[in-house]
Amino acid sequence: MNFPPQLSLYQSTVIMLILLAAIFVLHIACIIILLTATIDNAWWVISAGNMPTDIWARWVFVNNSWHSIDLPSTYPESYLQAVQASSVLACIFSIIGIFVFVAQLFTLPKGQRFLVSGVFQFLACLCIMIAASIYTDRFHTNEQSLGSYGHCFILAWIAFALTFLSSIIYFVLRKKTAE
Amino acid sequence: MLTFLALTSVAFLGIVPEQSQAIAIYTGWERHALVGSDIRLSCSFFSWRWTSEDVTFSWTYRPDGSRDSISIFHYTGGAAYVDNKGPFRDRLEFVGNPGRRDGSILLKNLELNDNGTFTCDAKNPPDIVGRPSSVRLLVFEKVPIQAGVITGAIIGVVLGLLVLIVVIYYLMRFLVARRVFSLSVSKHGKKKKEGSQQRQASFSFYLFHMPLFLSFLPPLLFFLCLLPAPPHTQTHTQTGAYTHPADNTKSNRLVCCHIQALIVK
Repeated sequence: MNFPPQLSLYQSTVIMLILLAAIFVLHIACIIILLTATIDNAWWVISAGNMPTDIWARWVFVNNSWHSIDLPSTYPESYLQAVQASSVLACIFSIIGIFVFVAQLFTLPKGQRFLVSGVFQFLACLCIMIAASIYTDRFHTNEQSLGSYGHCFILAWIAFALTFLSSIIYFVLRKKTAE
Repeated sequence: MLTFLALTSVAFLGIVPEQSQAIAIYTGWERHALVGSDIRLSCSFFSWRWTSEDVTFSWTYRPDGSRDSISIFHYTGGAAYVDNKGPFRDRLEFVGNPGRRDGSILLKNLELNDNGTFTCDAKNPPDIVGRPSSVRLLVFEKVPIQAGVITGAIIGVVLGLLVLIVVIYYLMRFLVARRVFSLSVSKHGKKKKEGSQQRQASFSFYLFHMPLFLSFLPPLLFFLCLLPAPPHTQTHTQTGAYTHPADNTKSNRLVCCHIQALIVK
């Protein structure tokens, strides 16, 4: 990325800092979305009783309060645990990635790419894609009239897109002189 | 004139529907409860007539997946008769108030088998035409959540592999760096000075700084990586400590000692 000569040093520095802030904010947004999708049990909402469910527990509204109950044993056990494991791994990789990015910001020699941060974000992208794909294919396939997908499911797919974008940016970005 | 018209119309409307208006029974649509808890199934009705003394309430129960229903409660002639043979014996209690058109029952100590449809039918003679209303009961089990073994295994294996890969990577780098360092010192005259110094400079610079920030490396490895010193002192010692190229091992040892001394200073 070569700045046009009419831009002063101050202006180019400001542009680079804004770009850096944007990339950092994107990564933080990815982490937040991944954590919400993993922790909040709302991949599927059952219409009868408006019960959000999956992937750890099911919520039921009884006696004017919400109670969490176990998922039914009819769920395919191994697929459920695969979804749980890979969504947790996606969060872990993304969080490690933000620390690695900050470390690489101060230690990378000039002109080199943020490869390791990109690798971690790409691993997070892969893991959340695995989780969301298994869930889409194996759960609630015959129950389309009995409920709808909840916000965590949608966030999982959005996190896939954002982490992919973030990892591409890290693979392409080169370290510049301002840092 | 107008008031007379209004009064007659009200009376007319009052009289005519009395014979065609049916009794309307209200229960809930669906009820959720936990195993072992109690639940109150409410039933009330609306009728144009006054509540008579012969008002009757009756509850029937149809289990999930079954086609026939059994009668579990009946209130008539001022007395309540609860189930004493069926699935709800000793668990059913009448908590309603027939004078207030309330025919609610209380089910105690719910079990998972109590899932089903409860139908309430109320009759207020002479108002007996009506449609019974049903409420669906869903009983849930509250069980503590246990994380799966497979989940933990997958996470543990992947993270373990990650740590292993990083450790092996740094070990390889460290070993290669030491070998390159000793080789470049001995082959001083053969290679181009700037090229080898620059390659070694970026390599050792990289090596010096990376472990500092990846904190899961053991501190021992970190101190070991401090041995290849920063570039400017190395070039200085290389030119200063160069001896005859034939005396390879002896010169190596001498050079190492010189460099060590400089680093310690």
